[in-house]
Amino acid sequence: MVPFIQVYGIYIILHGHLSPGGGFSGGAIFGASLVLIALSFNLEVGARQISHATASVLESGGALGFIITGLVAVALGGNYLANQAAGFPMGEAGELFSAGAIFIITAFLGIKVASTIVTLFYNIIEGDDKSGDAH
Amino acid sequence: MGLEQHFPALIIAILFGIAFLSPLLFRWARKLSAPVLITTLAMATMMAVYLLVLVYQGGEFSYYMGGWPPPWGVEFKINLLRVYMLLIVLAISLWIMVYALKDLEHELKQELMGWYYSLYALLVGSMAGIALTNDLFNLFVLMEICAISACAIISIKEDRACLEASFKYLILSAMGTGCFLLGVAMLYMVTGQLNYDLVNEALPAAIELYPNNMFAAAALFIVAFGTKAALFPLHVWLPDAHASAPSPSSAMLSGLVIKIYAFALFIMFYQVFPRPLLESIPINEIVLWLSAMGIMFGSIFAMVQVDLKKMLAYSSIGQIGYVFLGIGLDDTIAVTGGFYHLLVHAIMKSMLFMTAGVIIYSTGIRQIKQLGGIGQVLPITMIAFTIGSASMIGLPGTGGLISKWYLALGALEIGRPIFVVIILASSLLNAVYYMPIIVNAFMQQEEFEHEVKPVPRQMLIPLFVGMAAIIFFGVFSRPVISLLENALQIFF
Repeated sequence: MVPFIQVYGIYIILHGHLSPGGGFSGGAIFGASLVLIALSFNLEVGARQISHATASVLESGGALGFIITGLVAVALGGNYLANQAAGFPMGEAGELFSAGAIFIITAFLGIKVASTIVTLFYNIIEGDDKSGDAH
Repeated sequence: MGLEQHFPALIIAILFGIAFLSPLLFRWARKLSAPVLITTLAMATMMAVYLLVLVYQGGEFSYYMGGWPPPWGVEFKINLLRVYMLLIVLAISLWIMVYALKDLEHELKQELMGWYYSLYALLVGSMAGIALTNDLFNLFVLMEICAISACAIISIKEDRACLEASFKYLILSAMGTGCFLLGVAMLYMVTGQLNYDLVNEALPAAIELYPNNMFAAAALFIVAFGTKAALFPLHVWLPDAHASAPSPSSAMLSGLVIKIYAFALFIMFYQVFPRPLLESIPINEIVLWLSAMGIMFGSIFAMVQVDLKKMLAYSSIGQIGYVFLGIGLDDTIAVTGGFYHLLVHAIMKSMLFMTAGVIIYSTGIRQIKQLGGIGQVLPITMIAFTIGSASMIGLPGTGGLISKWYLALGALEIGRPIFVVIILASSLLNAVYYMPIIVNAFMQQEEFEHEVKPVPRQMLIPLFVGMAAIIFFGVFSRPVISLLENALQIFF
């Protein structure tokens, strides 16, 4: 199941500017697939796919990518987060690689959301282990 | 058209950027993360100063996110009042962060520091956004970021009291944001706009058709911002949250976070709602009496506290009342006083929480009655405490006097001397609970019996800055007052 879910998640992310969906929903689907691995086997197998540390790094990276895309627009001479006005290539409407910055931003959002879901899941599981000494 | 025209967006972008960068930096280059945060805050402050210059030279201007003008895009409005608030937020958070670097080392687990920097930058960025935004829904999003990061910098200490307090805060402030969103929905229903100015234009026609919607929205806004800014009967979350948090968080929460919502309330009622609505229903009267009760009860509750930080927290409830009093009095002079108090109280309450932090750092004491004779071992800290308290009471030469003076003048101007009596009475009450601490600290003859750790210089220098600022704003109040008078012209 997992490869199919992941392909579907990536499809939703990449088609965010063409069809309903986008970074958030696609990222949630992709993240859920990783959580499912950990649920159906065990935590170690899940952590072999993507470790807690990698997930948190990707989480920050995704959000940073969003902000940097906005800043690139400023560097290109538009306003913050400007799209066409800043000169991002628009492409043919309806094609996969179109809509300029939106495409880049949904991709970053997808990474961010997927890794956030994984991090949340790991945090909850690991939180159980240490709750004994926290209080 | 240089880079400076993008400063409104850049300030917020670099603060949010650093929020996401600092966990990475902390993982890979731990030594860099604190200097990078400080540099970013300093850069943002300088950009805000530059914006002030721009506004003085060229008047107010707008910044459209992504180049989309309203009603499609989010608009940032840069005028004198917004920049004043932005400068307060950025400068004071830079000041607190310098102090926090040392204090946090003993209050937090080492591996949490990176996350603290991240949350701190998010909190500052969201407050800077609230100060500048001109869009109701954008305001809602920023309020959510602000509320969640504020809860997180309380609960990051991971002890029982902190978790309980931050949970209470989380629930109540979520209720506040819920009310706000409902109010925005009411406005959107009848106007179809989210931009402040466009809503303001559409409202006079809408009031005729749907008056009840407007009244409900106004009531919801009072509850929403009142909860978040701890206006008197909605203050219940504040004492626990501000007292149990790590001291830098307390300074931040008491000094800035509650103020930004008072500011947002002012913008709502004076920029978004049209004047006739404000005059047809007694919104100002309600705010006025709630704040008057807050001023009295906050001080009375503070008198009976045994815990130093809890006393400071209750005192905040009284002090935020002054800001709301200014807003409620609906008079240029009084609002000037209210906004001046916003600045002065942000400085003095942050400084008082810093002194409390130094006392806890150095001796571990939190109880007020154990502080006898502490002036001999921590002289600089207690002098800072004295100056902060003097400003709270409103003694001459401190910033606290100026704001109370303007508030009292404003109250007399519109013929409500009863509020002058309330201001005077609460000043006396402030003296009743601040003075004994100072007298005990310096006058007690017996030796101070607790162990005292030496205080690092990095924690003392911010105290000197605070003392200097309080006296500066007490003596040279004219520049800020005239800035505020200019800024408020468009509202009256």
